[in-house]
Amino acid sequence: MTSTTAASLPIGTAEGLLETEKNAGESENTYILRPVFQQRFRPSVVKDCIHAVLKEELANAEYSPEEMPQLTKRLSETVKDKLKEMGFDRYKMVVQVVIGEQRGEGVFMAARCFWDADTDNYIHDVFMNDSLFCVIAAFGCFYY
Amino acid sequence: MTSENTSGPHTSGNPKGDKKHREKKLRKESEVDFPEDKEQKHRDPDRDTKHRERPAERDGHASRENPRGDRDRESQGKGKRTPETGTDKGTKRIPRAGREKSHSRGKDRDKDRERRARREEPRQTAQHNLLGWQLPEPAERRARAGSKARAEEKERRDEGSEWGDEERERRYRERKLQYGDSQGNPVQYWLYKEGGERRHKRQKEADRERRHREKSSVREKRDKHSREKSNSFSDKEGEDRHREKRHREGARLDEERHPGDTGRKERSSREELTKRESKDSEHRNRGASSRRDPTSSQEGSCALWYAESLVRNNGKDKDSRKKSCREGSTVWKQALSPGSAEIAEIEKEDTDIENAGTDEYTPCLEDDFEDYEDDFEVCDGDDDVSNELEPKEKIEELPLARKKEIQEIQEAINAENERIGELSCKLSQKRGLTEGEREAETDANSSPSRAPVCGIFMDFATASRRQKSRTQALKQKARSTKLLRLIDLDFSLTFSLLDLPPVNEYDMYIRNFGRKNTKQAYVQYNEDNVDRDTQTEEVETKGVWSQHPAEGTAVSGGSGSGDPCDTGAPKVNTPRLSRFLRAACQVIAVLLEEDRMAAEPSWSPAAQDSALRISDSASQLNTSLPFLQNRKVSCLCASQVQRQTVVSVHGPPGAASDPALDGRHVLCVWDIWQPSGPQKVLLCESEVTCCCFSPFKAFLLFAGTVHGSVLVWDLREDSRIHHYVKLGDCFWTFRTATFSTDGLLTSVNHRGPVQAVEPISTSVYKKQSFVLSPFSTQEEMSGLSFHVASLEESGVLNVWVVVELPKADLAGSLSDLGLIPGGRIKLVHSATIQLSDSLSHRRYEFWGAAQTLSVKFLPSDPGHFIVGTDTGLISHGTRQDLRVSPKLYKPQQCGMRPVRVHVMDFSPFGEPIFLAGCSDGSIRLHQLTSERPLLQWDGGTDGRAITGLRWSLTRPAVFLAQDDTSCIYIWDLLESDLGPVAKQLISPDKLVAMTIVGEAEKASGGFLALVLARASGSVDVQFLKRVWAAPAGDELGRLRLLLRGAL
Repeated sequence: MTSTTAASLPIGTAEGLLETEKNAGESENTYILRPVFQQRFRPSVVKDCIHAVLKEELANAEYSPEEMPQLTKRLSETVKDKLKEMGFDRYKMVVQVVIGEQRGEGVFMAARCFWDADTDNYIHDVFMNDSLFCVIAAFGCFYY
Repeated sequence: MTSENTSGPHTSGNPKGDKKHREKKLRKESEVDFPEDKEQKHRDPDRDTKHRERPAERDGHASRENPRGDRDRESQGKGKRTPETGTDKGTKRIPRAGREKSHSRGKDRDKDRERRARREEPRQTAQHNLLGWQLPEPAERRARAGSKARAEEKERRDEGSEWGDEERERRYRERKLQYGDSQGNPVQYWLYKEGGERRHKRQKEADRERRHREKSSVREKRDKHSREKSNSFSDKEGEDRHREKRHREGARLDEERHPGDTGRKERSSREELTKRESKDSEHRNRGASSRRDPTSSQEGSCALWYAESLVRNNGKDKDSRKKSCREGSTVWKQALSPGSAEIAEIEKEDTDIENAGTDEYTPCLEDDFEDYEDDFEVCDGDDDVSNELEPKEKIEELPLARKKEIQEIQEAINAENERIGELSCKLSQKRGLTEGEREAETDANSSPSRAPVCGIFMDFATASRRQKSRTQALKQKARSTKLLRLIDLDFSLTFSLLDLPPVNEYDMYIRNFGRKNTKQAYVQYNEDNVDRDTQTEEVETKGVWSQHPAEGTAVSGGSGSGDPCDTGAPKVNTPRLSRFLRAACQVIAVLLEEDRMAAEPSWSPAAQDSALRISDSASQLNTSLPFLQNRKVSCLCASQVQRQTVVSVHGPPGAASDPALDGRHVLCVWDIWQPSGPQKVLLCESEVTCCCFSPFKAFLLFAGTVHGSVLVWDLREDSRIHHYVKLGDCFWTFRTATFSTDGLLTSVNHRGPVQAVEPISTSVYKKQSFVLSPFSTQEEMSGLSFHVASLEESGVLNVWVVVELPKADLAGSLSDLGLIPGGRIKLVHSATIQLSDSLSHRRYEFWGAAQTLSVKFLPSDPGHFIVGTDTGLISHGTRQDLRVSPKLYKPQQCGMRPVRVHVMDFSPFGEPIFLAGCSDGSIRLHQLTSERPLLQWDGGTDGRAITGLRWSLTRPAVFLAQDDTSCIYIWDLLESDLGPVAKQLISPDKLVAMTIVGEAEKASGGFLALVLARASGSVDVQFLKRVWAAPAGDELGRLRLLLRGAL
């Protein structure tokens, strides 16, 4: 079995934050220890998003080793962009996409995070058809 | 450093900066160029100024700084200046400078350069240019250094070895000094001029730097002194002169240097390198500090502009030296403040001011220079060999054409400058460098040779980035440390993102190939639809209403049709109704019977005819029924309780009429008031010899047969369990015996014909019967609390217990053999009494066993019974084998006679007397207590055998006797105790059996009737005349008197 993985980090967000931080940090610390409730990373919403993307993109997908790297990247970018649009303020998003071929082998994927459980969260969704499986995991890390 | 820069633009770096260069050169020149040093010595002051200017020009940014300070100062002194005018004038002046530059020595210079270049080319093209550029400078520097070295004390040379260490410290101190000087410069100047320079100096030093070492201060003073000397000349020409000298010097120096050039090349290049590095560092600083950014950008343009002006100058080389000198000063002034207009103003100012200005500039320049030096120092320490190589290649980055041009220009300028002074030369070098830098930034990859240079700039970029990232990292680190105090981080659980179990081989195979060669053969559906019983069947509903308390006739009803409920049944006391109906039915039936008899005269005359003389009226029981035809009546029996009920026993018919009944005996239960038909018809297989009714209620009929069996009929039984026979136009139910002892209890049962069956019923035995009978109703209990005794000829008296089963079993009973299916009455053998034992007297032994012919139980005490024998004796016995007296009732005649005592009858009125009729025609009246009879009539019947003997049921003193000649005798003891009062012969139809029915008169309805069975089979009822029927007053008492009298 072959699998390709692509992860995209929205660095731009971080830099933007840095700039503001630089200006603000001189006067007073403006740490926000907890996200605004509406802007919290809500796994259910994110899951819907991921699910929609999966359904849309992989509806009739067949596994082909050549296309999968691009597909994973595209998927991760798509999901990341969508998540950014959802307005999780001060969140850093990590979107991981794994696509593998279904050949009967057993697969076990797990993730473990060192994070602040109060603010950070993650969600994943799995898509499977006869030829491939796709796991999209989205991690949201709060940038205080 | 930055802090110092910000603190004030005037920080004086001159001494330090100078010294650094100077001293480096000193070391070198002390070996090589010593002669030159001497020559230069006298020009020290001039060079000093020049030297001061040089770094300012080299560092565009440094020169940037100056204008500010300049402006500040000049604004103090002069007022306002517009930059625009300044620039204009600057441009005007340039041609003059150019003219100056293209001096006679310019060509020599060029030649020198070319020569040098040619020499260097084989080695390194990159170095060629570099060297070409730089040669003048080191030379100049060397010259300067030499002069300086000489001008300054020998101590420094002594210290040469430790120079590097001390260098920095000194520079620092000096800068401070200078700084102080520069600030107070105008004042100082005048002070110096007026004299007491030293004093002043010291004073100021004391003021500003107490810690300052003497040595450095001395040096400082000397510098100042030389400067002031030149200034003291001044008054317009001073400066020019200096310049001229310098020019000359430069040229000379150049020429002189030639031989040693090769040797020095290395060093000079290194110096160049260091300079550039310093610049780099300067740039870096600039990059780091945003404050400097604008100046740096201006610098580039300024440098370019200057280069162009030089080109122009190149074209015109005819200006006088003086002019060129002047120009040079202006040139560097312009360089110092490229974009500003001060220069023009300065030009206009009188020399004093100008000098002062220059004086002031120098500190400014030196300040910057010192900055640069500081950077240089840092970089010197930091930079490696790799860094050293890069600068050499830097020159390559210039576009070749332009480079050439600029090179030419600069060479020309250098030549000029060499003549005028080293200043311009250095300026041009700087400019070139800045240009190079800029170009490298714009098009870094235009030529391969530039790549390395690019590297430098990349290095610069990365360095700045590194710094940036470092600051960023620091910031983030601080941030993280602050945040981590507020946040708890922890490990999350391990999320299982995907758990796809491996598919085993078979499944995989099936998934891939399993569907091959398969097709769907059938479809199974609704497999789980199991049929189950449900409880949802239609419930039959019916509307029913009821009312309580029930008032009126309709108390309940409903909508259902054909239901008994809906018809508003009147409230009926059923038992009472049934009782009423039973009685009423009987009455009606009797009435109907009478009406019929009246309506049918044919019957009645016959009946009337049949009426005897002794009777008032007579009726005939309808024995003409089909099943009774041709049957002879063998026996008649009347119930003692229900006096109107008579049973007649009919023998088998003479001619076969009905196969179902042929050979069977029929018993008919009659109601004498309903003579038209029997109440019940009973069937019996064997011949019935005797029968009797149950004592209290005549619903049981017991019969004894010739076969020795005892039969019982339960007249209450439902007719449906019995045999239906349709005879004629109506149905007849022929009841078979409910229970028969036939074939049962063979050990105790009778073996001979049953002579008599008698019920035993007294109150004494009620307790026993209670125990035996499970019935609850008093009526039934009382009805069943009796025993039945059956007597056979051989003297065996069996006592049977009548048992009623609690429940009828239509299927028949396995244990109760002899019981008809559905029957409830059975007989249980209770006791057997052998009468023969008591009868066999020793006196009568020769007679053999006596035959027992009849048995009667005492009505008052059922435990006692009397048995009539064929010996004329009547035995008295008890069921409990008690001794009784008398044991035998004997006739009046003594001795044994073969007299059969056939009939006996107890008085129904409770008198302890009984009648016994004998076969010899004698009738005895016995008292229970006496052995001998009270009365004995031997000739009453003329010796004919008595077959029937019955007390009258209505009159205690009347009894009737029947003899075997079918004659009836009536005895009335009150009337006559000698013989019968009446005699009636029944003929022609012989009398077979007779019984008496009658009811004691309660009101006036008493009757006494004789039921006579004729030989023809007919049964008629003769109602006796009232004489014998109606009792007389106190008849019983008179009888008792009679009997007492008889005793």
